[in-house]
Amino acid sequence: MQILSLSSLTKTFGGLVAVAGVSCGVDRGAVVGLIGPNGAGKTTVFNLITGSIKPDDGHIFFSGHSIRGLRPHRIVKLGIARTFQTIRLFQGLSALENVLSGCHCRMRSGLVASLLRLPGQRREERLVIDRAMGELEFVGLANLWRATAGSLAYGDQRRLEIARALATEPKLLILDEPAGGMNEQETYELRQLIEAIRKRDITVLLIEHDMGFVMSVCDRVLVMENGILIAQGTPQEIQTNPKVIEAYLGLDDD
Amino acid sequence: MSPDLPSSSLPAAPDANRVDGANGATGANGGGAGSNLLPGALTGLAALLFAFLPLFLNAFAGSSAPYWLDVVNTVGLYTILALSLNVILGHAGMFHMGHAAFFAIGAYATAILNLSYGWSIIATMPVAALAAGAVALVLAWPIIHLRGDYLLIVTIGIVEIVRIALTNNIFGLTGGSNGLVGIARPSVFGFRITRPQHFFYFIWIVVGLTMLLFHWLENSRFGRALKFIKEDTVAAENMGVNTSRYKLMAFVVGAAWAGLAGTIFASRMRTISPESFVFSESVLLFTIVILGGKGSQKGVLLGSFLVMGLPEFFRGFEDKRLLVFGAALVVMMIFRPQGLLPSKPARYRLPDPWPGKLSGAPAAEPVTANGKRAQNGAAATGAAGALSEPSGPQGSDPQSPGPQGPGA
Repeated sequence: MQILSLSSLTKTFGGLVAVAGVSCGVDRGAVVGLIGPNGAGKTTVFNLITGSIKPDDGHIFFSGHSIRGLRPHRIVKLGIARTFQTIRLFQGLSALENVLSGCHCRMRSGLVASLLRLPGQRREERLVIDRAMGELEFVGLANLWRATAGSLAYGDQRRLEIARALATEPKLLILDEPAGGMNEQETYELRQLIEAIRKRDITVLLIEHDMGFVMSVCDRVLVMENGILIAQGTPQEIQTNPKVIEAYLGLDDD
Repeated sequence: MSPDLPSSSLPAAPDANRVDGANGATGANGGGAGSNLLPGALTGLAALLFAFLPLFLNAFAGSSAPYWLDVVNTVGLYTILALSLNVILGHAGMFHMGHAAFFAIGAYATAILNLSYGWSIIATMPVAALAAGAVALVLAWPIIHLRGDYLLIVTIGIVEIVRIALTNNIFGLTGGSNGLVGIARPSVFGFRITRPQHFFYFIWIVVGLTMLLFHWLENSRFGRALKFIKEDTVAAENMGVNTSRYKLMAFVVGAAWAGLAGTIFASRMRTISPESFVFSESVLLFTIVILGGKGSQKGVLLGSFLVMGLPEFFRGFEDKRLLVFGAALVVMMIFRPQGLLPSKPARYRLPDPWPGKLSGAPAAEPVTANGKRAQNGAAATGAAGALSEPSGPQGSDPQSPGPQGPGA
């Protein structure tokens, strides 16, 4: 069953067609990679799914609902969480608070309860801090809960971003170049982490340039070039697909 | 009413209630609460001493005691206003330079209800707050998405519109440029607040309550949402925070509280006119928050004393004191742009070497998260030691029970 499906999704920026009629689906529980040369429109697709930008045409269905045109916070609440290509943590806040930002959409305390610190609000605070610590523990950062996000090592920041996204209790997790800038050890650990996320019954959609990583972690791979989906299939199929080889051959692309 | 009792816990209250916990230098173990008692006790002592200020002034200032008490009351009133602006400017990070508009709406609401309809002052207080909040809601709705300097310009427009509307005797209610005269004094539980020392306790109790409530607000889901918005609006929205709604709510809460301060102002002055709510009042409030430290209650308190109180000591220099004041601001912004007492990170009561949630939670299926950082060697001492297999410092195989899926 498909948790996410895109149909003839199109987005142009001025004269540039960033995404040209992309149609595809993501199976529930799968780890799907989206690859392609720089400028292929991968991140634009992510931004369209998460509501950061609005499509010119086409449809996006998530768990059977159309989410086209919804604002990002509504989409998060429906169960899609993301990380960013360039790390976008709340740099000045602690690791714990960063994860608490993800918990926000699953909390209920409103203005009055917060202003008067009502018992229900306090109970919720305790529960949610516990849950946030659980997510930090999940990514292996529990001992750094008090550290300022900006002071963390690069790989830890990437993981903190994942913990923050997981705290929104997503059904679909979207990772934009999670291994970007990571060394071999960190990439290995990330692979383990994605396996663990999959075991929590969370579907993963990721953009990545590290082909070894994509081929080893993904069940299916989607390939984009110039805003068009040129191929999709299992990693083996993709590796032997002539169109994909052509798109990548001779390209000075990392 | 016995004024010095409640007021003794005034500025101290927020601190006593602070979510305390280990906050010392990094690496320090989750220290005992004892280390945090001292600052709290000092603040409490300061508040207690402050509660006796009217007596000190009577004893030492002689005939000018009422004057100095009035100065302190003005500082208190501006502290309330600046604390309310702090929600908007300090916590949500919105550049709002029109706060005097909402102060004015509160003051006029009280004056009109009292003079024309005979309401008691205290009864007008919630209405003044609601009126200011409602106007803020309507005015801010279309502009809330504006950023930084753009929002600033629009809010300057708001304060001008309100002032001009008041001057033009809008709806025939505001008395034009003469304003409204003869507003009653407030009475609390039958006690009539008339003299400066009465107002001292009245105003500073409200200051204390404001600090307490806003401290709670700051350390809640609501306050955190504002913090996320201030840090990075795009990331906040993408983490599920309804950014425009929270910005609007912060604006309305701040405005409503300024309206409440307007009630106090109207009943203290007994006469209000548009010239009390000019643009420069807004600038003054803005300055208090920036100078003291955006988002920091102690900073705002200090800022109020410096901006509203200190110049009174230099009355003799008359116009030159503003020159010195301006120069001091310039120097401040160059050398200490974060303010005199910048806000501190929120504190959470958690064990610092985190022992892990190994006990308690219904045994989740163990998930391998290989990225698990070395469980601090000292973790062996942790309470959960029995359950955890202490992993080597560089261990690449620790099995850590992850939290359950959603809802753990």
